[in-house]
Amino acid sequence: MTAPDDVDLDRVWTNVAAEVWRRHPGRIERTAAKLLKSPGLARALLTTPSLLGPWLIGSTLVLAIGALVQLGANQPLVWLIAPAVAAVGIAYAYGPGIDPAWELACSCAVSDRLVLLTRAVAVFAVNAVLGMAASVATLGTAAGAHTAQLTFGWLIPMTAVCTLTLAVAVAVRSAAVGAGAGVAAWIVVVLGRGALDSTASTPGLSPSPSAGTGLAGAVTDPNLYVPYLAVAACCAAVVYYVTRPQRGAQ
Amino acid sequence: MDDDELIAAIASGDGDDTALRELFSRHAPWLAARLRKALPPVDVEDVLQETFIAVWQNAKTYQPRGTPAAWLWVIARNQAAMLLRKRGQPPVPLPGEAAEETGPNADPADAVLARAELAAATRALSGADRHAEREVWQLLYVEDRPVAEVAQLTGVPEGTVKSRAYRARRLLRAALGSGTHSAEGGTR
Amino acid sequence: MNIELYDVTRRFGRNVAVDGVTLDAGPGVLGLLGPNGAGKTSLLRMLATILPPSSGRLALLGRDPAKPADRREIRRRLGYLPQQLGYYPSFTVVEFVEYFALLKEVPPHLVPKAVAAAVEKVDLGPKARAKLRTLSGGMLRRVGIAQAIVNEPELLLFDEPTAGLDPEQRVAFRALIRDLGQTATVVVSTHLVEDVGAACTEVALMSNGRVVFRGTPEELTARGEAGQGVGDAPLERGYSAILAAARAAS
Repeated sequence: MTAPDDVDLDRVWTNVAAEVWRRHPGRIERTAAKLLKSPGLARALLTTPSLLGPWLIGSTLVLAIGALVQLGANQPLVWLIAPAVAAVGIAYAYGPGIDPAWELACSCAVSDRLVLLTRAVAVFAVNAVLGMAASVATLGTAAGAHTAQLTFGWLIPMTAVCTLTLAVAVAVRSAAVGAGAGVAAWIVVVLGRGALDSTASTPGLSPSPSAGTGLAGAVTDPNLYVPYLAVAACCAAVVYYVTRPQRGAQ
Repeated sequence: MDDDELIAAIASGDGDDTALRELFSRHAPWLAARLRKALPPVDVEDVLQETFIAVWQNAKTYQPRGTPAAWLWVIARNQAAMLLRKRGQPPVPLPGEAAEETGPNADPADAVLARAELAAATRALSGADRHAEREVWQLLYVEDRPVAEVAQLTGVPEGTVKSRAYRARRLLRAALGSGTHSAEGGTR
Repeated sequence: MNIELYDVTRRFGRNVAVDGVTLDAGPGVLGLLGPNGAGKTSLLRMLATILPPSSGRLALLGRDPAKPADRREIRRRLGYLPQQLGYYPSFTVVEFVEYFALLKEVPPHLVPKAVAAAVEKVDLGPKARAKLRTLSGGMLRRVGIAQAIVNEPELLLFDEPTAGLDPEQRVAFRALIRDLGQTATVVVSTHLVEDVGAACTEVALMSNGRVVFRGTPEELTARGEAGQGVGDAPLERGYSAILAAARAAS
C-alpha cells in the first residue's frame, strides 16, 4: 500500500529522528546552563578537553604523587607541581591553538571570549581544588609545621603561571607552545628563587622560620606575591587584546 | 534483513537507528494508508510519529514470531486511541488485526481471499481422524514453535512431527487448490 | 536588503585584501567568484562578523555588526561554513551539529528537531550517530553544511563549499542552495565558476580586492561572448574576459 498524498512521511520521520537522536544533558550540564544562563556556554564548558575524564584522572594522579613524595623537609612537591599542572590544563582548555573549529566558533552568538573565560576559570578552579586537597593531605606528614601560607600560598603563583600560559597560547595559536612557556617560566622562577636563597643570607625575607628555604621559596616568599599578581594582570590584558575581533588569519 | 532482525537490532544495546529507519520506510506507508481511512492527515502524522517512537522505546518487548506487521499495527491503534482520548474525542473505529491480513501487501480483495482460504483450511483439517495433523499444524505453523519443542509437547519423536506436518500441508494444498477455484473462478 | 556594504576596505598591514567594495544583496543566491587571493575569504569573514572592516560601512540584516548586542543578534541568524572547518573527531554528527545549534542560541526545546531536519537535509541520516573521525571528506563537508543551516539562518555564507563533494553531491548542494535562496541571502564563494553558476541568481566577480562585475549569470555569459574569453563553458569565458579586462585596467 502506498502512503496517502496528504500525509508527509518525511516530516514524520524527522520528528521521530529528533526524538531518537536527541541528547539528554546530565544534571551538571543542566545546572551549569541555569547558572550561566546559556545552554551553549554550559555545553562548551563541559566539553573542555582538559576537564574531561582522562585529563582529570591524570591531573589527580600527578598531584597525588606530589602529595606522597617529598623532596625534603618543608618541600612537598604539591606546591611546585600544582601550578605547572594547572598551566598545562589551561593551555588545552580553549583557543585557536586547540580548537579546530575556532573560526566557526567565532561567528556564533555565544561569544568566544566568554567561552575562553568560562573554561579557563573552570580549569583553574578544578586544579585549585585538586591541589588544595593534595596539599591538605600532606598535613600531618613528615614535613613539620605548615602554615596557611604554605598550604595555600601556591595559588598566587599558579594564577600568574596560568595567565602567562593562556596569553602565549592564544597569541601564538598553539596550546603546546603556551603550555611549554608556562611550565618553563615556572621552573625558571622556582630554580632562580631557590638559587637566590642559597647564595644570599635571607634573615629578613621570610616571616616564618619554616618558609623561604630551598625551592619552596618561589611559593612562600611574600615579596613575590605582588610581582606574581602584576604578571597575571598583564597577561590577562594580553589575552583580552589578542582575542579581540581584529585578528583574522590571512 | 527481515523485519524480525530489524526489530532485534533496534532492541539491542543502544539501539540501531538505521534499522528503525529501514523499518519506517517499509511500514510507515501502509500504516499511514490504514490510519488515513479513519483520521485526518495531521492526526495520522502524529500517530505515526508516536508509533515509531514507541517502537524505538519498546523494541525489547517484541517476541519474534514472524508477525512484526501485526505488532506495529497494534501499537499504531493504541497510539491513535490514546491521542483521541487525550483530546477528549470519541474513539474512531479502526480496522482490527486478528482475522484480516496486515502488512505492506494488504488490500481488501486479499482479505476476502484470506478468509476463504482459512475456511477451506479449517474444513480440510476438521474431523476426528485429523486430530494429529491439526495439532501439529496449530503448534508448528500457527504458534510458530520449533520442531523440537513440538515433539516434546506432543510426546512423539521429531520424525513423526515432520511426517504429520507433511500430511497436514498436503491436505491443505488439496483443499486450497480446489477452494481458490471456487472462490475466485480463476487461478491466483 | 540583508547585506549592505558601502566602500568597505580591509587591510592586513600593508596588504589591502578588500578594496572599497560596495555591495547590496537581498534574498537569493549570490555567487562570489574570483581567483585565489582576490579577497573573497576576507569579504566573507566580514560578512560572518568575525573580521571588522578597516573602513567603510557595513550593515547585516539591518543591523550594525560593530555593536555587540546587534552582532549577537546577527550571529543568531547567521550560518557560516569556512573554507577550512576543523571537526571534533570524537563527536558524532548529531553532537557536532547540536553543539553549534546551542552556540548559535537556538532555543533548547527546538534544538532536537532543528538538528534532525538539518542532518536529513544533507542526506546524512544513516550516519547520524557515527563519529566524525569515521567519515569521508565529502561527508564531513556535508556535516559542515548541516551546522550552517541548523538555525534556519537568514544569511548563509559558504566558502568553497563543494570541495570534496562528488558530482552527484554537487547537484544536491546546488538544489539545496536554490531552495534556501527562496527566503535567505546565500553567498557562495568559489573559484569553480560552473559549479555554482547554475544555482546563482546573481554573481559578483572579485579581482585584487575589488568587485569588477556584478550581475546575473546570463550577463556574465554575454560578456564572455563579447570579449576575449577563454574556457570551455559560457560562464568561464565571461569570467576570464572580465578578469583579463580588470588586469589590463589596473
